[in-house]
Amino acid sequence: MTVLDFLLLIAAITVGVALLVGNRAGGGWLVTILYALQGTVLLLMSGLGYSTLAVVHSSVTFDILNQTLVWRFDALSWFFALITIGAGLFSSWFASGEWGERYRDSGGSLALFHFALALNVFSMLVLLASGDLLTLFIGWELVSWASFLIMALAGGKAFGYAMRYISYAFAGAMALLGGLLLIYAQLGSFDYLAVKESVPQLQTSTLWLLVVLFTAGFGVKMAILPFHLWQAKAYAETPGPGAAFLGAISSRMGLFAFIVVLVQLIGISRLAGLEVPFTFLDARDLLAWIAVFTTIIPTYIALRQHDARRLLAWHGVGQTGYMLLGIVIANDLGSAGGLMHIFNYATYQAMLFMAVVAVMHRTGTSDLNKLGGLFTRMPLSYIAMLVGIIGLAGLPPMNGFVSKLLVYRSLIVDGSPLLFLGAVIGTFGTILSVYKLIHNIFLGQLRVEHAAVREAPLSMVLPMMILAAVVFVTGYFPGLVLDWTSAVQRAIGMPVLAHHLGGMMSDQGGLDMIWINSILLAGFGIGTLVFLLGGRSRRVHQLDNYAGGHFLTAETRYHYSDNFYPGLMHLVGGWYRSSFEWLERGFVSTVDTLSTAMQGLYRNAHPSYLLLAAVVFALSWVIV
Amino acid sequence: MKLLALMVALPLLTAFLLSVINSISTFAARWAGPVVLLVTAAIGLSAWPHLGDTPQAVQWGGFQAPLGITLYADQLALLFALAITIGALLLWPGRGEDRTEEHPDDHSRNRLRRASLALLLAGTGSGLALSGDLFNIYVFYELLTVVSYGLIAGRGTSGSFAATLRYLVISGFGAALALAGIALVYQAAGTLNLAQLAQLAPERLNNSQGFAAFVLMLIGFGVKAELFPVNFWVPEVYATASSRVSALLAGVVSKLALLIIMRLLILVFHQPEALTVLLVLGVLGVASGELAAWRARDVNRLLAFSSIGQLGVMFIALSIPGNAGVLAALAVAVHHLFLKPSMFLLAERWGGSIKGLAGAAKTSPLGAALFVLLALSLIGVPPLPGFWAKLLVIMPLLALDQPLYYFAAFIVLAAAALEANYLFRVVLTLYDKAPAATPHKAHATVDLATAVFLGAGLVAAVFMLAPLAERFDFIAAQATDVSTYIQTVAPLSLESGSVQ
Repeated sequence: MTVLDFLLLIAAITVGVALLVGNRAGGGWLVTILYALQGTVLLLMSGLGYSTLAVVHSSVTFDILNQTLVWRFDALSWFFALITIGAGLFSSWFASGEWGERYRDSGGSLALFHFALALNVFSMLVLLASGDLLTLFIGWELVSWASFLIMALAGGKAFGYAMRYISYAFAGAMALLGGLLLIYAQLGSFDYLAVKESVPQLQTSTLWLLVVLFTAGFGVKMAILPFHLWQAKAYAETPGPGAAFLGAISSRMGLFAFIVVLVQLIGISRLAGLEVPFTFLDARDLLAWIAVFTTIIPTYIALRQHDARRLLAWHGVGQTGYMLLGIVIANDLGSAGGLMHIFNYATYQAMLFMAVVAVMHRTGTSDLNKLGGLFTRMPLSYIAMLVGIIGLAGLPPMNGFVSKLLVYRSLIVDGSPLLFLGAVIGTFGTILSVYKLIHNIFLGQLRVEHAAVREAPLSMVLPMMILAAVVFVTGYFPGLVLDWTSAVQRAIGMPVLAHHLGGMMSDQGGLDMIWINSILLAGFGIGTLVFLLGGRSRRVHQLDNYAGGHFLTAETRYHYSDNFYPGLMHLVGGWYRSSFEWLERGFVSTVDTLSTAMQGLYRNAHPSYLLLAAVVFALSWVIV
Repeated sequence: MKLLALMVALPLLTAFLLSVINSISTFAARWAGPVVLLVTAAIGLSAWPHLGDTPQAVQWGGFQAPLGITLYADQLALLFALAITIGALLLWPGRGEDRTEEHPDDHSRNRLRRASLALLLAGTGSGLALSGDLFNIYVFYELLTVVSYGLIAGRGTSGSFAATLRYLVISGFGAALALAGIALVYQAAGTLNLAQLAQLAPERLNNSQGFAAFVLMLIGFGVKAELFPVNFWVPEVYATASSRVSALLAGVVSKLALLIIMRLLILVFHQPEALTVLLVLGVLGVASGELAAWRARDVNRLLAFSSIGQLGVMFIALSIPGNAGVLAALAVAVHHLFLKPSMFLLAERWGGSIKGLAGAAKTSPLGAALFVLLALSLIGVPPLPGFWAKLLVIMPLLALDQPLYYFAAFIVLAAAALEANYLFRVVLTLYDKAPAATPHKAHATVDLATAVFLGAGLVAAVFMLAPLAERFDFIAAQATDVSTYIQTVAPLSLESGSVQ
């Protein structure tokens, strides 16, 4: 039994245990401990993450259709598995205390929740371990249906969103299946190595078809344009910690498969040779532009949300764009940045969702127009959110800064100023909307009904604090993560970024976050010193405030939350005519019309008339 | 191997004697049917391993091939003969129905009638599967059709009579067309024995007359196989007949018609145009069936339309030349054989509008869970058997590397996406937390047990994929081996070289 067998076995046991004891008191903790055990076993394979170990095989194989299906881990799988198990661990931890009790008392099945979460982790590990195209598809489907399960748990509205998800996801899966069977038909194998070697034989037209099919298949999961509509609502309606888990890693599985098939098997250089007819673009440019628009449009949609969970979920769609962009650019900086962004994003997105869920747990709402001023009541959650939004916005000293910087640099090195401009526009929207998020929840004036709110319980705060520490530490020492991404770059055949603990080395100027952050902190230190030495300060009550020249007392509260950034929204509003929603509705009504026509055919068509037609047809064949 | 003839004769005989038995002992009449089916199933099963080495031919009445009634049994034929026998046993009509409105006298008479019909169905179905010449095939097919009328109309509602009438009209036309096709074949070849036709076909039927005969027979026999232009009876019949009858017709009888078309393709008709016709009609069936199912408002109609789609996939599979096509069609057919009856049984108590099913999972959690499993297998989610069946269809379609076959593969995949959408709309309705206004009826135990048994078969198949795939491969290879067929049935005419 290999280490990988052991990992998958424990993950499978976790699924069973979650279902059996999830509803009992302490059941959640047991499941959380099992995730920790999974993490420990994963660490036994950490040689994969540092290029000292090339591959770990599973001893489970399966013979079907003259193919031997195999499962194995390499650096890429290990990197994704680390994030997956981490997200599972922290989400389960978060759900194990008071949140779980409340969920159970309000009629939800906590066992089903833990089961769905564990099933997601297990199926993702199976996907990550896939050793050929067929096992990739099997894992892919498992992941899709496990996500569907956890999304549908809440019932009611969530059913509709989960339905939309599975419609997209299954259509995508069918595109994927078509693609990989086409590969099999053309090249005669599902095996990665064999396919990789014979890909050059493929004709350009076949290759185009494959690129379209695979991009559509994986793109649905990643929610890149134009398949982005399902994600935000479905994630937002998933029960709290489940949303944190899905937000952190779920749609990254699309990126994983994208890397495996389009980067490893087909190769970015081959994509760059595929000209788009009648334009000056090639397939790689096309993907890069899709990535950029995936960054921009969902980010500005996020800006318009009034629900904290939806706002975050829409950012999830947007951030995918950066990761894809970096990987498609495919130089040492870009791929390192894209990969690192996966890790960084998972850490702060999980934490942000947790902070929002903690606020919901205490106040009962995630409506950005019904919150405010909670900073004084929930300071630890505030700190978690502050760290998280700095990361999400991509500002120092948090880890999000490093990965975004690497992606920007890669665009400039690659000579793509327009893509760079697009990425920056996306970041601008991110900064604006995360400010809206923290302001509307934590800053400003406290509402009357929240006067008695307390900090979230320790079981919820502690995971957030640990994640905050991870975000900060990996921002201070990005080399910790760059070690892993370098191993991945080596494994998938990308140029490897030269790096050290503080950042990266380059002829055009390196990056050392230890210096940058130390100077930043020193600046803060000096500020603090000035503050402390500057003599007396007067504490002002939170409600002692004024606006528009009027003093506001505790009776007339004033918290500006609605209609944020009216000027900007006026400026860009014209660009949002929900054209993608329109596209989707158009598609659905086309199917609907066809369906009505077919039903009419079956209901009304005169059978004898049709038979007559068939006879005439057959006889005419004889005579002619 | 003469015993195999009993698979046909025994149920037929019992069916005719049933009312006589009833006048002697009602108890005996009640159990005669199931016991006979058990015995015939046992006969079939005991013959199964022998047929692996050599297929068998039985000449009824002792006359040699062209004159006698020929039964030909290879594992393919036996598989379907067993399917209809065991199917009739498992789906014994009348069980699990609500009989509150029925008069007690009616009840015992109805039971007798249903038992006879079920036995006739099993006997004629086995005969159809095992027949070795076109004339017998036609006779058994007609008998089967008549039996189906009886079963469909069995509910006695006005809706079921209207549906039966529609079915009757289409079947009548179909029978006429099939007969015309058979006449064309006879005119060209002078024989109806399939073994002899197989010898003569390359010479005498590989022309436009042969092609016309094929199209006529395809459309004629296609009525039962839910082939595209002659399947307009399907939604009405399945919506009005009892679920067990629908399950038998959609699950088993349709496959028998498919088997005949498969045999004709293998033995007699080798025109590439024939395959194209199958492909086009199959694609139209998939597209029209799945699209119509998308808007279906009640479960039975939804299942009916989806069954049209599934049969379309089988026709597409048949249109793949050679061994791969037979293998693919066989895999999809056997998968459907387990799946559709199970779904229809679940639908028995879930009739009416789909919206009315809201929250039904609370009343019957097992039924709802089973429905999820079946839906997942139907749309082809790995590692369930439906996925591997789909794989077997699409892989050779793409390997042919022709635009029309690519298009067919696209249609099959797109149809699966559509299926996922409408089936999971039903699933989510079942699990809806806000229950519907009318209370749901729990499933009858016997229905649920049968459905679970069939579903368990699907799950068991997951663990036996490799041996199953090997077995199917073997059956397909045996079925496509034309020379073995000829030698088994008519060694004499081969040696003498003369045919008439």
